[in-house]
Amino acid sequence: MVKEATEKVIPNPFVPYPATLTSSVDLTTDVKLFTLELDRPEDEFDYKPGQFAFVSAFGVGEGPFGLASVAYRKEGLQFAVRRVGTVTNALHQLEPGAKTGVRGPFGNFFPLDDYKGKNIIIIGGGIGFAPLRPVITTILDNREDYGEVLILNGARSPSDLCFASEFDDWAKPPRTKVELTVDAGDDNWNGRVALIPDVLAELGPSPKDAIAIICGPPIMIKFTLTRLKNLGFGDEQIVTTLEGKMKCGLGKCFRCNVGEKYVCRDGPVFTFAEISQFIEQF
Amino acid sequence: MTKILGKTGLESWLHNIMQERALVAPKHVGDLILFDPVQSVDEVVFDYENTNLSPKEFFFPRTDTLFTTKSQDNDVELIPTIIDQETVIFGIRPCDARGIAMLDGPYLDDPADSLWAQHRNKTTMIGLSCTKPAPQCFCTSVGSAPNDSSSVDIMLTEVDDGYAVEAVTEKGERLLQGVELKESDVTLSAPSCDTSVPAEGIVETVKKVFDSPYWSRLADRCIHCNVCAYVCPTCYCFDIRDRTDKGKIERIRTWESCQSKGFTRIAGGHDPRADKGSRLRQRFCHKLLYFPQQFGPLSCVGCGRCVVSCPVNIDIREIISDLQELGAKVG
Repeated sequence: MVKEATEKVIPNPFVPYPATLTSSVDLTTDVKLFTLELDRPEDEFDYKPGQFAFVSAFGVGEGPFGLASVAYRKEGLQFAVRRVGTVTNALHQLEPGAKTGVRGPFGNFFPLDDYKGKNIIIIGGGIGFAPLRPVITTILDNREDYGEVLILNGARSPSDLCFASEFDDWAKPPRTKVELTVDAGDDNWNGRVALIPDVLAELGPSPKDAIAIICGPPIMIKFTLTRLKNLGFGDEQIVTTLEGKMKCGLGKCFRCNVGEKYVCRDGPVFTFAEISQFIEQF
Repeated sequence: MTKILGKTGLESWLHNIMQERALVAPKHVGDLILFDPVQSVDEVVFDYENTNLSPKEFFFPRTDTLFTTKSQDNDVELIPTIIDQETVIFGIRPCDARGIAMLDGPYLDDPADSLWAQHRNKTTMIGLSCTKPAPQCFCTSVGSAPNDSSSVDIMLTEVDDGYAVEAVTEKGERLLQGVELKESDVTLSAPSCDTSVPAEGIVETVKKVFDSPYWSRLADRCIHCNVCAYVCPTCYCFDIRDRTDKGKIERIRTWESCQSKGFTRIAGGHDPRADKGSRLRQRFCHKLLYFPQQFGPLSCVGCGRCVVSCPVNIDIREIISDLQELGAKVG
């Protein structure tokens, strides 16, 4: 159990890579998409869909956010950040050119290579859609590797739907469908007004050779899991990414644990088979 | 043969240590006995059951600077904290030393916590065997003993004419270089400590009673004051925040407690442990289930500080007994 502390200089894992905010774009009334570039060419930051990183607003703090970009496109590190607390408020106030810091990438990822040849159902609610965007990008950039793709994006209201400007592009490739729903519509909304789990039941995707990938608030995840089970999806066919209060991302601060599992290190991506073994509720 | 260091020999050794390194030792602070840097051997307390707090804070300070920032023009330089002070802690009890060694599990797990690693590297621990365990002590029930030398660098055990000296690690041997020790054939007696806490098999028991209403009943009287976490030698949860002072920005980490309201509340308001029962269960499950699952031993060293500090008498010894009883009923 006890490991020998060695004399060699250990890099401080809490010091972020210096980075510059290169763009900050409104996605909804309270969500911005940030693009960050690392300042030092020697800093390595290779990541996969589903991983997350901490972004700093120096003087205020840092917070964990799912990476919304894909590494191979080399378009910078992107994060969709909803303004809900002190750190996210401070981040929202940063102008392009501002200095920030990134720590990561952390956690496991969606094993998209393992899903090749399968039908993919992607279900996201609100800001929970952020970590699913790189999943969509990767699948659509390698469209022929996957079967049917169904994207179900839901939000509280039409103006809360994240990545709205990208929906048309997502729906363009063959065998790819985008379905939208909101909890409450507005004057301009002609689409669905329903909860995600209900829409899912209505659409009734087949579990055959399928993988369902979910992200959203815990309550949405729980109800969606039940609907997928009802549709005949097996525990290994349902994959989700969980959120947890986190301070370190390294499995040390013991804030994000669900039982003996760390969301930051054992997750954030878990299959329903894994979740059903959790001793504690997430 | 046992090696003995006389009482005056010990005093002059500590005096010499102080010339080159920081010496931290039990000291009277108000009504308490606490580990604190000492400037003179006269300040050192040699006769005590245990200190009111463990010396955990010399490895994991209540507030520790992770890095500072230096801004120039539009550039921000991040300067990580370097710990170069060599420190010797004298008088650490076996339970507290074991608590520190246990935290190597999470903190040195890859990627290592550099601050913890630096504190560990720069610190030599001189242990002092317990001669009279306090009423709340139960180290023997949780896998240790009043004379357990496994987690210190040097172990001292009080004998009639001084202290029996055991150099446990190379670091300990280095610190003892040049110190004159007498040979003696004295046999060391080990005092007994409370062995009645039924901790054996508790890991399996806790799994069985995880969903029991026991936790919320117990938590009814918890006032989430967090004292249990602050006095605990093995509690290591932390918070990270930024502190600004006259243009200087520091990212700091501070002690935190899983009993705090909002400890697990995420952005958007969801809190998987919104009720006191699940928070109290977290505290005991971390010590009795999760830590053993992850690193091996129970992360309770039996110092009994939480037992004497809790204003509403939540007693881990009683809890272990209760859980075993409950577990036996569940079958």
